[in-house]
Amino acid sequence: MSEQWMFYFDPNRCIGCHACSVACKQRHDRDADADDWRTVSHLSRGEYPDFEEVPISMSCMHCHDAPCEQVCPPDAIIKRDEDGIVTVDRDRCIGCHYCAWACPFGAPTYDDEGLMSKCNLCLGEGPGGGHGQPERQTPEDGGPTPACVDDCVGEAIKAGPQSEVMAEATEKAAERFEQGAYGKRVIVEPLEEDADLADAIREGDEPAGAITYEG
Amino acid sequence: MPLDTHVVLAQGFVEQLWLPADYWDLSIPVYLFLAVVAGGGFLAGATAQLVRWRRDTQPGAIESDIARWGFLVAVLGAAGAGLAVLSHLAVIYRALLFPIYLTNFSSWITIGTWILVVLSVIAIVCLLLSLFGTEAAADDGASLFPRAIVAKLGLLELLDGLVDRVRPPRVVIVGLYVIGSLLAVATIYTGFELAIVETVPLWNMPVVVPLAFLFSGLAAGVGLTVALTVFFEREVDPVVGGYTLATGVLSGLSLVTVWYGWTEIATSDAPAAAASQVALTETNLAVGAWLVVVALAVALVVGLVVGVAALTGRGSADLERVAVPALVGSFGLLVLGGLALRIVMLLAAQQDPVVVLG
Repeated sequence: MSEQWMFYFDPNRCIGCHACSVACKQRHDRDADADDWRTVSHLSRGEYPDFEEVPISMSCMHCHDAPCEQVCPPDAIIKRDEDGIVTVDRDRCIGCHYCAWACPFGAPTYDDEGLMSKCNLCLGEGPGGGHGQPERQTPEDGGPTPACVDDCVGEAIKAGPQSEVMAEATEKAAERFEQGAYGKRVIVEPLEEDADLADAIREGDEPAGAITYEG
Repeated sequence: MPLDTHVVLAQGFVEQLWLPADYWDLSIPVYLFLAVVAGGGFLAGATAQLVRWRRDTQPGAIESDIARWGFLVAVLGAAGAGLAVLSHLAVIYRALLFPIYLTNFSSWITIGTWILVVLSVIAIVCLLLSLFGTEAAADDGASLFPRAIVAKLGLLELLDGLVDRVRPPRVVIVGLYVIGSLLAVATIYTGFELAIVETVPLWNMPVVVPLAFLFSGLAAGVGLTVALTVFFEREVDPVVGGYTLATGVLSGLSLVTVWYGWTEIATSDAPAAAASQVALTETNLAVGAWLVVVALAVALVVGLVVGVAALTGRGSADLERVAVPALVGSFGLLVLGGLALRIVMLLAAQQDPVVVLG
């Protein structure tokens, strides 16, 4: 592999406008009611008036270890050697949904044919459009910018070879990525308001006022 | 617990993703269950035939009935499992062409397909050998009912002659039994199909889930064979007692394994595990979870009591009177419980929260 491509996300810059998911649908000519290859979730905590919400934009993260590829029985999912992008050969897919079970990000979607489709990092267009394409080029080298990156009004989403994305991330985000955060599958900026709290937890301290899950 | 999950929880931002139900409609638990039931039926059939040969019993011996019912359970179980999983797929012909399309041998679906297909073929051969030919023609018992169907079609003589001509030497048949028995145990793969899914804590127990699926499925397969045999033969002799005891022991092992696994889930502080625990105890799925526990416990008790009594010949008159309905009822319940186990294990599953914060 020459270099793994990956996504970067900054929740501090995301305004939750869904332009990324709409742009994805337009680029790939997908129906408005089709499941999103890129989704925007709105996570919340607290109750009014102490209510907070943060939008999270996600898609296939083209994982370095690609759990979907490992479980796919007909080898329809391919982790490409040349750029690490995970593509789908829909001519081999049997529609068993096993990839959806294994994916940590809920990325696989299934169309009316029952075949798997997902983000191909705009390597090609449409379901399965990434399969068999040549190595991904950066915009500087003539490749298309991923639609979600192109249309993100707050520049919350970036994509590219790992070294380039790391260079654009903050020192804290890069450091956390190197330490294995998120399984080293995506580079995420810490939430500014809670960065210290997150660090304290990571270092094993008991955070004051932490909210725990109760089922 | 993964660090990322901890951070998300500590901040209180939790987004939980239910895997959509159409990812695993009812056909999946049916498939996961019947594949192992087929294994249990085959083990019962093969061992009964070996016992018969070893004891050199006469035609009409109950070992023959157990063998035929066992092989029938194996064939029908494997066929049902195959149909169930095929009905779930989007492109069935690619799955039917599995030697060409299923090339990823690190996937448990590929491995499982080969296990199920080869087990099916061996079970069909063993069933045909036990149902047709000169030896079977001299036998009797309700388990020979397929002969009556074939006779109505006017093919009995032809089939008997054909089986006599192609019947392999006994050593080859024993070899088939051994290979089939290994494949029967290999149906543990159904547990691995779930256990390798790291995003679902309820499944991701690489020892517990496969063993629970294996024990409960084999118990159901052997138990179903016993239930069919005693229902038609109305007899609980020491041979049947051995299988009854085996069913009870397998049910007990299932109960211990399932209980341990669910206790582990209950004590986990991973949010998806906690959500699964809530689903298993506080939603409609709790009915299914209790059905699993009750079915396994009843089969354990009945299997041990009736099995030991039949083996030792010390059963009271009352026990002998209720043995047949008790076995048919409890082992029938065991089959429902085994299926319920798969259903609740699928429906109570929840992926870990999406982790992109912190």
